[in-house]
Amino acid sequence: MDVNETAPPSDARAVVLVIDADKSFVKTCRQALEGEGYKIIVSPSGKQGLEAAKAEAPGVVLLDWKAADPSDIAGFDLLDELVDVNSDIVPVVATADATVDAAVEAMKMGVFDFLSKPVSPEKLLETVRQAVGISEMQREAETKEEKADKYDLLLEGLDVLGEAYSIGLEKRQFLDDLARLENVAKSNAASRGEAKTREEAIAEIHDDLLDADAIMWNYDFQKNALIQILLDVQEKFRWLPRHILNWISGRLNIPLKDILVIANFYEAFSTEPRGRHTIQVCTGTACHVRGATETLTRVSAALGIQPGETDAKQRFTLETVHCLGCCALAPVVQIGSQYYRDPSQSQLAKLINSLEGAGGAEEATTGKEA
Amino acid sequence: MSRIATPGDLVKLRDRLNAKRNAKATWLAVCAGTGCRACGAMALADKFEEEIEKRGIGDKVGVRRTGCHGLCERGPMVMVQPAGESYFGIHPENVPAVLDQVETGKGDVEQFRYLDEEGGKRVSKLSDVPFYKHQNRVLLENNLWGDASSIEDYIALGGYSALAKALTEMTPDAVLNEVKEAKLRGRGGGGFLAGRKWESVRKAEGEPKYVIVNADEGDPGAFMDGSLLEGTPHSVLEGLILGAYAIGAAEGFIYVRQEYPLARKHAQLAIDQAREYGLLGEDILGSNFSFDVKIHRGAGAFVSGESSALMSAIEGHVGEPRPKYVHTSEKGVWGKPSCLNNVETWANVPHIINKGAAWFKGMGTAESTGTKIFSLVGKVKNTGLVEVPMGITLRDIIFKIGGGVPAGKQFKAVQTGGPSGGVVPEALLDLPVDFDELTKVGSMMGSGGMIVMDTNTCMVDTARYYIRFLAHESCGKCVPCREGTRQMLNILDRIASGEGREDDLGLLEELAEFMQAASLCALGQSAPNPVASTLKYFRDEYEEHIREKRCRAGVCTALIAYEIDQSKCKSCGACQRACPAGAIDKGGKDGKVFTVVQEKCIKCGACFSACPDKFNAVTKVPALSIKR
Amino acid sequence: MAEKKEGKNGKAVKLVIDGKEVEAAEGTSVLVAARGVGINIPTLCYNGRMEPYGACRMCMVEIETSWGRKRLVASCVYPVEEGLKVQTDTEKVRKIRKMIIELLWPSWQAYADEYGVTSSRFKTGMTDCSLCGLCVRYCAEVKKENRLYFKGRGIERQPALVEGSELSCRACGECFNLCGSGWVATRC
Repeated sequence: MDVNETAPPSDARAVVLVIDADKSFVKTCRQALEGEGYKIIVSPSGKQGLEAAKAEAPGVVLLDWKAADPSDIAGFDLLDELVDVNSDIVPVVATADATVDAAVEAMKMGVFDFLSKPVSPEKLLETVRQAVGISEMQREAETKEEKADKYDLLLEGLDVLGEAYSIGLEKRQFLDDLARLENVAKSNAASRGEAKTREEAIAEIHDDLLDADAIMWNYDFQKNALIQILLDVQEKFRWLPRHILNWISGRLNIPLKDILVIANFYEAFSTEPRGRHTIQVCTGTACHVRGATETLTRVSAALGIQPGETDAKQRFTLETVHCLGCCALAPVVQIGSQYYRDPSQSQLAKLINSLEGAGGAEEATTGKEA
Repeated sequence: MSRIATPGDLVKLRDRLNAKRNAKATWLAVCAGTGCRACGAMALADKFEEEIEKRGIGDKVGVRRTGCHGLCERGPMVMVQPAGESYFGIHPENVPAVLDQVETGKGDVEQFRYLDEEGGKRVSKLSDVPFYKHQNRVLLENNLWGDASSIEDYIALGGYSALAKALTEMTPDAVLNEVKEAKLRGRGGGGFLAGRKWESVRKAEGEPKYVIVNADEGDPGAFMDGSLLEGTPHSVLEGLILGAYAIGAAEGFIYVRQEYPLARKHAQLAIDQAREYGLLGEDILGSNFSFDVKIHRGAGAFVSGESSALMSAIEGHVGEPRPKYVHTSEKGVWGKPSCLNNVETWANVPHIINKGAAWFKGMGTAESTGTKIFSLVGKVKNTGLVEVPMGITLRDIIFKIGGGVPAGKQFKAVQTGGPSGGVVPEALLDLPVDFDELTKVGSMMGSGGMIVMDTNTCMVDTARYYIRFLAHESCGKCVPCREGTRQMLNILDRIASGEGREDDLGLLEELAEFMQAASLCALGQSAPNPVASTLKYFRDEYEEHIREKRCRAGVCTALIAYEIDQSKCKSCGACQRACPAGAIDKGGKDGKVFTVVQEKCIKCGACFSACPDKFNAVTKVPALSIKR
Repeated sequence: MAEKKEGKNGKAVKLVIDGKEVEAAEGTSVLVAARGVGINIPTLCYNGRMEPYGACRMCMVEIETSWGRKRLVASCVYPVEEGLKVQTDTEKVRKIRKMIIELLWPSWQAYADEYGVTSSRFKTGMTDCSLCGLCVRYCAEVKKENRLYFKGRGIERQPALVEGSELSCRACGECFNLCGSGWVATRC
């Protein structure tokens, strides 16, 4: 039976597990705690205690340092096992054999308090109350963390988005969508070698979706403008990210498959991220008869990628194009907004280096030109 | 700018604009077509303006950034107007010399004048340059004289006068009849009579009706439509408006190919300007006729140029041809009657309306009237855009206008009609350029790509090139086109790599016949043409590849190898530096000269081009000779 | 404005198919008209539950119009017209059908015996799908689930499943039986 899988009872914080064979101590516990609303579970042995800890998910455990039966599990070993079962459990030791060394050792292991038997009911209640408080705080903190993990940020995203749009989706469905989007954003970032926090990821997605909306707005959200919209998306993002396609599918009420058909049909679209710089080798007929095949082989060798590919760092994409309309320059290579007539190996190396070296700055200037 | 309310307003505006244009004694028309831009024409125009300002001669000299002048081979170029002197290969550092010449007549410009190789003399006037002398530039003339992005220049040059004439003096029927009478045939490929198409759209049931400009010029190696749309967008637009008036359409589209950013930009600019002047929109020139146009960008697919595919794309669907036996003129965009013509066809219309059908028929042959623009490219001296009357011979275009093939090589064939066309061999060069004549010999007019090939062009490779193109550019829907091109490519790959079989040629012919008969759309039906025509005229080359494993043109990489002639190598190392594969080392004679390490060679030809002409040590040899 | 509705309610048209006089409603395809009188034209991509697609070209027939124009057309998309003469089994169309079977070899062999095809002269096995589109169209037009589409164009064209559809597709499975080559079933 896998009890770990079942959810803890709602009153779990009030459950105190007593692992002790000492009947008088157990009696003191019942006297001190049961009247105060705590649920007491008693296990006379370490082994039974572990079972109970698994089954009942107590917040606090009271245990003796030494076992009555030497073959039983006790002391440090028992503590270890208990923490394994539930790392949030707050242990309290009560023992008749309380040495300073043992106490220090126990505290190091995260024992909340080290009591010396016999314990007065008042002292016991006071200690248990504090321990339960700690347990409660821990649990709350953890729940919060868990929520933030999965839902809080998504809800945050939902709030922002919910205000902006009335998209008519069920909340639950939307949460799933957002969860997917978050993962998409994170993996997009990862593919660029960046790490994104959840907040950043959601913010990025949020911005992306707003951008997509702005594009669709330009076409009055008309279905028949789909190809035009996708062209703008391609220009903006340098590829057609799947989450944008899903979004457009929902907004324009076009089946996703109809969008995928188009995204995979036309030359202009890319369903994978493209490099920051596109190098186009013209393979139009005029270029072909003047040796474009050889040019392409050289450019491909210089970049280390095949036509249609993008390098690992997403710097370059190598493409072939059928006629750029400047056949007099044949065979022609276009890099950014510049055209080159059959660049030589050294010229290519220089050009590629200059793109690489300038990085972002280069991009900014070409952006301005366009 | 204000709305032009009546044809009278248009005349007044034209006079005002011309006065303004004439105020400056000299204009420098810098070719700003895509080709010259690629060579830095925009920087050149900027430099001219800067220098003019520096010299303080802005009141006398102006700069125009015009459409393509045509002789792309010699770009960037500038024409001094109105005198007509032209300078070629001009760069920013040459600007002072040209301006000196303009100002004083004593600039050091001789070297930029066209050198007529035959006479050995420099030619100063554009009209005397052989390339231009044999042309008949009607449509392209505006490219020279007006700024491509200025409606004012277009109006000053007489633009929109055809529209004014039609709207005031002619009924839609009269416009239609004029176009029919002129026997204008669609310039996009098949050569269907435009007037007849217009008429069937006009008569078809259903409203609204649409008129569409097909600027999805997908033939690789053809840039006529792109140049026309970027160079003189208003003449295309005016033609479209005239067509809309004749047909009764209220809405139009210009479908522009994605690879033509400049054409798209200028077309959009033209639409915006025309709207502001009231030449588009409601109640054009006070005639009650209303019409508006939208641009639809293509997304890169050759098959999108097919009419039903193009219309699908306008509707936002994937651009696949529809298998309907109902013409798009009856059921086109959204099932409504739609008239699709290409850029050049529409651009002819204002001229026909202005000058009349008789004038138009005065050019060309009886069944192919008017002029035709070709992009003359490949192995030809004067690469560029040429406009000639129909009926001129291929020989005249290639040799008189194009100057023939570059030195040292021999003409082999010319390919016309793009991937749907075919090759025409030397023996047929005296064929007149005419829709029907070209079809008879297994090629076609197409939209006007003309690719010249010399003896260094392999015909198997050419066929393979087009079939590979089509195999990827077909939409892939119907079996004959998709599987036919797939298997043709297979067979051609086999032949090009020296593994061809005796029965391969028969298979190719059988496939060609099948695809022609059974394919769904025109793309598939014409797809076998490049194979069929090369087989027809150059069968021996195929047989050589199959039987002798030899590619006489030295193109099919599997059949050739690069070798360094040990006796000629001077150890300069140029080849080694150029090789991207590290396939050249000093393994030759006593370790002193270079050799090609065949196992490493990727056959990119870098060494071949790098070896200085004076040595010529790197050579192409049959691969078989190396294996031995 | 009301568009003229064509189809089943149209007026009757008389034509001749393989010498037989046939009457069919305007807008009917030649294929349907032929099948109506028991003349079977072979098809691959045709299925009466969906819009005719015109892609496989198996149903090509020879026609002669009333004004004497002769040509080859795909009968699934060619509408009947008055005075049309149709021949469904001529040497020309048999040659085309044979070639189609050979080109799709071995993924689709429904008519192989009838047309005497036992192997292909072409490189085979380059695709296990004939791209008839029955699955794609069934999913979109009949089932309205839109889970299948054609990815890419030209010789790269392939059917594809919208990501994450495998489970629902396996559960539905209605298109599996339409597929002659078992493509969809193996992808879910």
